[in-house]
Formats: sequence, C-alpha cells, structure tokens
Amino acid sequence: MKIKVASVDSLIIYFADKIDKDIALKVKNAYNCLRNLNIEGIIEIVPSYTSIFVTYDIFKYDFEEISKVLASSIKQSSTLEDTSKLITIDVYYGVEVGLDLEDISKKTTLSIDEIIKLHSEKIYDVYAIGFLPGFAYLASVDEKIALPRLSSPRKQIPKGSVSIADTQTAVYPQASPGGWNIIGRTAFEFFDKSLESLSPICVADRVKFNPISKEEFLKQGGVL
Amino acid sequence: MSLEVINSPIFVTIQDKGRFSYAHIGVTASGVMDEYAYYIANMLLGNSYSENILEIAFSNFQLKANSNTQIAVTGAICEVFINEKPYSSWQTINIKAGDIIKIGKILSGSKVYLGVKEGFKIQKEFGSYSTTIKENLGGLNANRLLKGDILPINEKLTYHKARLKECYIPKYEDTLDLRVILSYQDEFFNKEQIDKFFSSEFTITNEFNRMGCKLSGESIKCNINGIISEGISFGAIQITNDGQPIILLKDRQTIGGYPKIGSVLSIDCFKLAQAKPNTKIRFKLIDIKEAQKKLKEFYNSFN
Repeated sequence: MKIKVASVDSLIIYFADKIDKDIALKVKNAYNCLRNLNIEGIIEIVPSYTSIFVTYDIFKYDFEEISKVLASSIKQSSTLEDTSKLITIDVYYGVEVGLDLEDISKKTTLSIDEIIKLHSEKIYDVYAIGFLPGFAYLASVDEKIALPRLSSPRKQIPKGSVSIADTQTAVYPQASPGGWNIIGRTAFEFFDKSLESLSPICVADRVKFNPISKEEFLKQGGVL
Repeated sequence: MSLEVINSPIFVTIQDKGRFSYAHIGVTASGVMDEYAYYIANMLLGNSYSENILEIAFSNFQLKANSNTQIAVTGAICEVFINEKPYSSWQTINIKAGDIIKIGKILSGSKVYLGVKEGFKIQKEFGSYSTTIKENLGGLNANRLLKGDILPINEKLTYHKARLKECYIPKYEDTLDLRVILSYQDEFFNKEQIDKFFSSEFTITNEFNRMGCKLSGESIKCNINGIISEGISFGAIQITNDGQPIILLKDRQTIGGYPKIGSVLSIDCFKLAQAKPNTKIRFKLIDIKEAQKKLKEFYNSFN
C-alpha cells in the first residue's frame, strides 16, 4: 500500500498496479472500512480498480497526518468479510436496441445468439463506478466478444444501453455521448434518486445479465 | 417574488460551492468555477458563504425583477445596466419591482457572477444547488437558464450598501502563472520532461469548458502509456497521448485513465476560470505544505 499526494486537499492510496479480482476485494474492504469509520474531515472516498482517492479538510489535517490516520485505519480492516452482492440485471438483447449487435456478429463471425450467450453466461465483478452517476465498470467479458471502442463515439447513447469496450462491459445509466459497443438495453436503474445509497451497486459487487424478451422488457418499463 | 429571465445567452447556470460526498457513485463535484468572485458576491450581500448564485458565461443576459431585492455582480468585468443606466460591479445594487437588470458585454475575464440577497429559493439536490447538465442534477430543472424561467427570491428592501475596495478587484491578465503540486504519476515523467513542463509556455485552446481546459505547447512525454482508471482531483493535470496538458475543473469526470503530472493549486484554478482561449500559461512548482498554507489563507480571508 502506498499513499501519494493527489492535490492540495486530496491523496490517493494505491494497493497494486494491476487489475485483479483479489485487489478489487482489498480495495472494497478498505473502502468499506474508511466509510464505516466516518472519519471527521474526510470529504470524498472514491474507490477504483487498484486505488482509493480521498479528499480531506485541510483545516483538520495536513497530508502527513491524514496519511497516518488512513494507513492505520486500513491496516485494521483486514478482518472485514466479503459483503459483495450478486445482482441480476435483465437485458433485452434485440437488434433494435443492440445497435452494434449485427456489426459485432460480422466482425467476430459469431451468431447474435452466441454473442448473447457469451455475454450473459458470465458473472462480472464491479471494479469501479464513475464517468456518469451509477456507471459501473464490469469485467471481464469473454475474449471472443472483447471489442475496441467505436472509432468515433456516438453523440447520444440511449439510457439503459448495455455495452462492451475491450474486456469491460457496462450499462449507460442515462442518455449520454459514448463510444462503447451497444448490445442490448435494460430497464434496471443504476442511479436511483429514491434509494438512500442512490446506486444499487458498489465496487466489488458481482453482476450477471439475464436475457429477456422484448415483451418482458416493455413490461418492466423499458423504453425502445 | 421572483426574478424572471427575459433573455438568456448560451450559458447561465445556478451554482454554489458544489456537490460533495457522492463522487464514489460517479457524481461530479460541480460548483462555481471562480470561488473568489463567488465568495465576494455573497460577502457583499451579507449572504451565507454557501448561498447559490448565477454563473454567466456570455454577454447579454437580462432579468426582470418582480419584487424588490438587492444584487451584486462580480467576476468578469462587464457592463451592468439597471433600466439602461450603467452600474459598477463588485458592489451591492438595490433593485425595485419592475427593474430590468442587464449584463451587457463582457470586457475582461470570462465568468460573471450575479448574486441576490438571501439567494434563489429553489431546492437543493444531493446537498447542492449546483447545476450539472450532463448528470441531469441540480439548479432549475437541471438545465441552463432559459427565457421565461422564474427564479423565486425573498422580497427584501434593504438600505445596507457594500462595495469591494478597489485593490481587491482582480485584473484578468493575458498571461497566467499557475502553481503546481507534483503528484499522482509524477514519477513516470523523467527530469527532462518535468523541466520542460515548468520552463515552457502553453496556450489555452478552444477546448475549455466547465469540465476542463486543454492547453497546447511543447509536447510532454510520459514513460507510461496509460494508467488504470483512478479518482481525479480538482486541478489535476492530465497529459494525453499527444503530450498536451488538460487541467481538470469543476465538472470533471470522477475517475479517469490518463497519466497526471500533478495538480494546479485550486486558488489558481479560480483565476484560470476567468481566462480565455489564447491566454498564455506558465507553471510554477509549489510544495504541498506551502500549497495548503496558501489555500488556508484564501479561505480564512472569508471568515
């Protein structure tokens, strides 16, 4: 574990320099521990693949002091158990919402059914949340359907679009510009203002996609 | 009891200090680009330092007062008219029901702030009034102000007058020195590249908005191609693959994947907020201890 200055009032804690499931769990444990401790003067705690970014009140701590507080708090967190949830997300993988399905089928020479099967049979880990409120970076997709980002991003990707970029997959929680390959759509809310936590998903949770019919998707409130 | 928007230029939003403690779910901090001008406006009006304000980025904004109030205009030097009569910025101005408030041309600087006595009476969203359009959060309908919008206020007749001393009114220059704390991936830039970074002059490009400010100049090389996505601070300086720096500002993404050489001291980001494309930028080194001291002095001056 290494703590580095990030800016005048923030720092970053590095746990490793490679993406790995065990590291993600370590990050999650440390993150939960810091959140639960509710340390006064901590403003933001942002976990990602291998790091935790922290913003703090400089009227309470200088960099040396806060580094010590964080390091000793995290040290004691090794006994925390895995509280990850498995979240199942229903997806309608039709061509009318999976804007790149036909293109991916051509590029990979896989049938659309095979692409859907490969995407929906795996369980993904949540490595990071960012880019947009509730945008969860999930990994890793099967190498056979790992595709680079589009050469030119779309101006508007519809809300709920299920997408792939390299070995990562994610859902656009709201309409947004973006360059990921779109394979389906879900009615699942990744950023829900009615939830106390605002997002039903947390770093190190696990996600499985479940193919559903267009009728079922519409019944769940999905929009074509 | 309100102010009514009768003409809105391309970009006016309601802002405050920003939205904190939601970055872990991807919600950006947002908030006023120039905190100096923001705190002064609230100070002049006798408002709380966290009161909301209008951030105006282009000329020709007009409001009609439907009740008595008091306003203060700070930030970029601009024409201020009340019923066609010119007024100065950096002072309180009493407004009567029926008055037309106009922010005319912006003469120097780029962001005008218009504060109102006791702030606009709208709802906070996740602890902040700040508008973040791309996240559909805050402000008035999470959008920029549009013609016909009604901004509710408290009716106030006040005889309290305040004006900022001339020596505290900033001058917006064509060359800016920004103090930088080496941080993040600084170890992946060799000494020669760091020297080049601090000895070169950069120019602000047109890619300058609430999210960030892209510069052009000497290409700075990093020893690594990219990094694993991680949290980004206000003022972080990303070096993209073409070697050009991008300074990340209030509406930045919460995590990102470009190497960062360091971070611009936040007080200097407030000055940067008033700059325009083609402004020259030079970077100066500052260590973390000195940087924290300067930032404390800045905030203490408003207590």
